[in-house]
Amino acid sequence: MELRVIEKTDDELRMEIAGEDHTFMNVLKGALLETAGVAAATYDMNPEQSGGQTEPILSVKTEGDVDPLDAVGDAAGRVRELTDDFRTAFESAA
Amino acid sequence: MSYKCSRCKRDVELDEYGGVRCPYCGHRVLLKERAPTIKEVDVR
Amino acid sequence: MASDFEVEFIERDDRNARFVVRGLTPAFANGIRRAMIADVPTMSIDTVRFVENSSVMFDEMIGLRLGLVPLTTPLDDYETGETATLALDVEGPATAYSGDLRSSDDLVQPADENIPIIELKEGQRLELEADAVLDRGREHAKHQGGVAVGYRHLQRVDVVGDAGEFDEQESNILRGVIETEDDELVLTDEFDNDLTERYPGKEVEVHDVPGAFVFHVETDGSVTAEELVLRAADSIGDRAAELEEKVAV
Repeated sequence: MELRVIEKTDDELRMEIAGEDHTFMNVLKGALLETAGVAAATYDMNPEQSGGQTEPILSVKTEGDVDPLDAVGDAAGRVRELTDDFRTAFESAA
Repeated sequence: MSYKCSRCKRDVELDEYGGVRCPYCGHRVLLKERAPTIKEVDVR
Repeated sequence: MASDFEVEFIERDDRNARFVVRGLTPAFANGIRRAMIADVPTMSIDTVRFVENSSVMFDEMIGLRLGLVPLTTPLDDYETGETATLALDVEGPATAYSGDLRSSDDLVQPADENIPIIELKEGQRLELEADAVLDRGREHAKHQGGVAVGYRHLQRVDVVGDAGEFDEQESNILRGVIETEDDELVLTDEFDNDLTERYPGKEVEVHDVPGAFVFHVETDGSVTAEELVLRAADSIGDRAAELEEKVAV
């Protein structure tokens, strides 16, 4: 996973997350949309055949005085918690 | 290059000027032998 | 995002599992599904050294068939890219089966012993050595651990009344798992996938249960269904942890 910040202001962030695909990006986006202080979040990914940019680009817009990078960190932490919870729930049922 | 005659099954060294013909029985069908080396294949 | 997950198994054996998870978002359910297919690595033959092949097929064709043989995968012992060696030596007349493969590692074995590789006639012989490598389904389909992985929404069936006495009963087909009024989970196979078989003469309503997904996981034998699910969750969790760490710097 390689991160490259393309654009960053106080309330907006565009960042390339190289080496990832829909599997992780969609989960991350889902978590971002439920993170406090996030006004909008999406990611864009082009198919390989399109040529040009194929790595996913994450766009986040925040409101209040939430730093978008912190929001991404929070969302990632949330995803990690969720997978841990899922593991626990699955193991106790199995 | 080593070949095998398809009629008398003998090993044949093919020489460039003699044409495609078994020197022992005159048969014109020669089979190419698989090289005795280990062949490595990438499965992809 | 509700995070109190509830998992309930409906069917469970080594290679096959069906379970309901409650409290999932669609994004998370799909992430797990995709990770099971493309991100959980398995061992698969990747390089073959042919010592002798007097069979009727080219080396490359046999190599392809060998690559598709599922191998049991001890995921704790191998890192992506690490290899194990297998060997095969069969002389005709006989059929070379996956079970004839001899492995250098007892934990890396053909998951099935009865997969035919090639039929050898009198005088034909196949002798080879092969390297199996650990890699992900994203790189090549032969590394896919999950062969039939998917989910459906859990559907709840409520009886709302009696069907009109002279109404023609039309079959009402559902597939997967339903939740009944008594909160029981019932496999639709049990009533031939037809609700009118289970509730004859009744009028029923079917609703999706929000946040509840019925997963069906079938593996090729490389890993157990249970391990496949857990490894898929871990693979997403690991990436989230990596991102969290990199963003914090």
